[in-house]
Amino acid sequence: MTRFPLRGLRARMIVAFALATMIGAGAASWAGAESASDALVESHQRQLTRTLAEQIAAIAPTLTYPPDQAVLDRLRAAVGPDTTVSFEDLRSSDGADRATAELRGAVRERDRIATQRITADGRPLLLIGAPVMTTAPDGSRTPSGIEVYAARDLGEVEARIDDLAATAIGTAALALPVAGVIALLAAGGVLRPVRELRDTAQRLADGDLDARTPPQGADELAQLTATVNEMAGSLQASMAAMRRMQSDARRFAADVSHELRTPLTTLTAVAEVLADAADRMEETDARESARLAVTEIHRMVRLAEDLMEVSRFDAGTVRPRLEEIDAAEAVRDTLRARGWLDRVELTGPDGIALRAERRRLDVIVANLVGNALRHGAPPVRVRVREAGPEVRIEVADAGPGLPDHVLPHVFDRFYKADDARARTPGSGLGLAIALENARLHGGGLTAGNGDDGGARFVLRLPKEAP
Amino acid sequence: MRRIWIAAAVLLLAGCGVEPSGVTDGGPAPTGVAPGPTLYFVDGGELRATVRDTGRLGTIAEALSLLLSGPGDADLDTEIAPTAFAKVEVTVTGQEVELRVPLSTEEVTPLGIDQIVCTALAAHVQNGGSTEATVRLRFTLEEPGSRDPRTCPLL
Repeated sequence: MTRFPLRGLRARMIVAFALATMIGAGAASWAGAESASDALVESHQRQLTRTLAEQIAAIAPTLTYPPDQAVLDRLRAAVGPDTTVSFEDLRSSDGADRATAELRGAVRERDRIATQRITADGRPLLLIGAPVMTTAPDGSRTPSGIEVYAARDLGEVEARIDDLAATAIGTAALALPVAGVIALLAAGGVLRPVRELRDTAQRLADGDLDARTPPQGADELAQLTATVNEMAGSLQASMAAMRRMQSDARRFAADVSHELRTPLTTLTAVAEVLADAADRMEETDARESARLAVTEIHRMVRLAEDLMEVSRFDAGTVRPRLEEIDAAEAVRDTLRARGWLDRVELTGPDGIALRAERRRLDVIVANLVGNALRHGAPPVRVRVREAGPEVRIEVADAGPGLPDHVLPHVFDRFYKADDARARTPGSGLGLAIALENARLHGGGLTAGNGDDGGARFVLRLPKEAP
Repeated sequence: MRRIWIAAAVLLLAGCGVEPSGVTDGGPAPTGVAPGPTLYFVDGGELRATVRDTGRLGTIAEALSLLLSGPGDADLDTEIAPTAFAKVEVTVTGQEVELRVPLSTEEVTPLGIDQIVCTALAAHVQNGGSTEATVRLRFTLEEPGSRDPRTCPLL
């Protein structure tokens, strides 16, 4: 079966409409032609039967009874060709005998004329079987034993019925173009609002939240239009609320940073002074307390700085200040500044140019190497290399590596792999901030385990930051 | 889609054309064969039906001609006066058989009239006519009431 390209709603509607009309018109024409042809066959059949009966009745009184061969032939000649006349064992000399056993049975049983339609040699024939009766003067009838079987051609009726059928088909076909035009008009009327609605939905999808379609009428399409408008309205409202909350959060992060900066600076300075003073303290208890206070102040200052950094990322206010730097040299600067050069094995050629913000790269590398030194085991290796359009900085240690249940969470904020180790110098935000920094440059940061079992972090940065 | 069209066309064509059928009734059978006409003569003052063996039934007029020519050598009487001109004109209209007999009312007794009426009606019925039919006689010389419709007392 061929597949028709009926994808469009319009085409489907038109075809369905035209089909329904055609079936309706066809069924009506067919029913008309059917009953007309039945009536035609019926009346033609009746006429043929009556003619035969009249012919027999006209000649019957002149026939010698009981008949001999000559009499049967005379009767046969009188009623026409394709006829057989029989009486007991006698049979008229010519004329093909087409009568069926069924017909003969009916003629003998009922003593009335019987008819049957058959098809012989592809032509429709009417078989008529007529018993000739003998009537007593009082009107009682008995079969005389003479039987007439005639075959009559119905080809002419069939030709007329075929004409009727052709006319019916023609009439149904005439309805097709009319149905097509009506379907076209109806489809246009139904599809115009659909098209308008689609345009509105398209504008909404493109970001124009003011797009609306005025609903017309009170049908299902109007209801759909109203629903779409309602949806657009609530979408617009929630978008506005979200924007307001976002800008609130941004302002809050900026305010917090601003408000905390001065006290934190003061606190750091005080801690320096306190640390100096603690060294000179005589009393052991007081000295320990002062040192604890200094440690905790440092910790709090770092935590506050990290939190401010995270909230700046969340508020989306961070913009990197990109500059041209040498990747290996930047890493080496980081290690040197932390005094880690003799504890870390750095490999990688100089001269890999990278567009990045020096301070943020320093934060990432310091965090990764610091973690490796703190939680892993030596030797800690840092490898800088070029991979296509990216620079990869790989930090690996020879420790036990990251357990499988920890791996999916290493970049989560405040995630502690081991509750027993809850009090570590880190804020718990280091890796989260490192990942945000990597993403800020258009790169990424992945955690895994090396072939030798140690933890292995890979920082990927595009050479040309977006 | 195409299948629907084919189904519709088949449905349309199946209803057309002349189809074979079973045996159906075609009305009453024709009649009219008999070994001879039934003639009514008089036997001891009463009507008696006899079949004249002519080999065929014939028409009403033929039966009446045979009746007018007399009983022949059979042991029967007739109450119709012999006439040289034994031809009867017969007109059948619906339920009525009109006879123009070559006789006057004088030449026939009431029993003779019954002979004519019965013979005519018997031939009419045997030829396929109605048993309810009546006979109207037209004589060469008429009497009041001689034209009234008559029926056969025996039928």
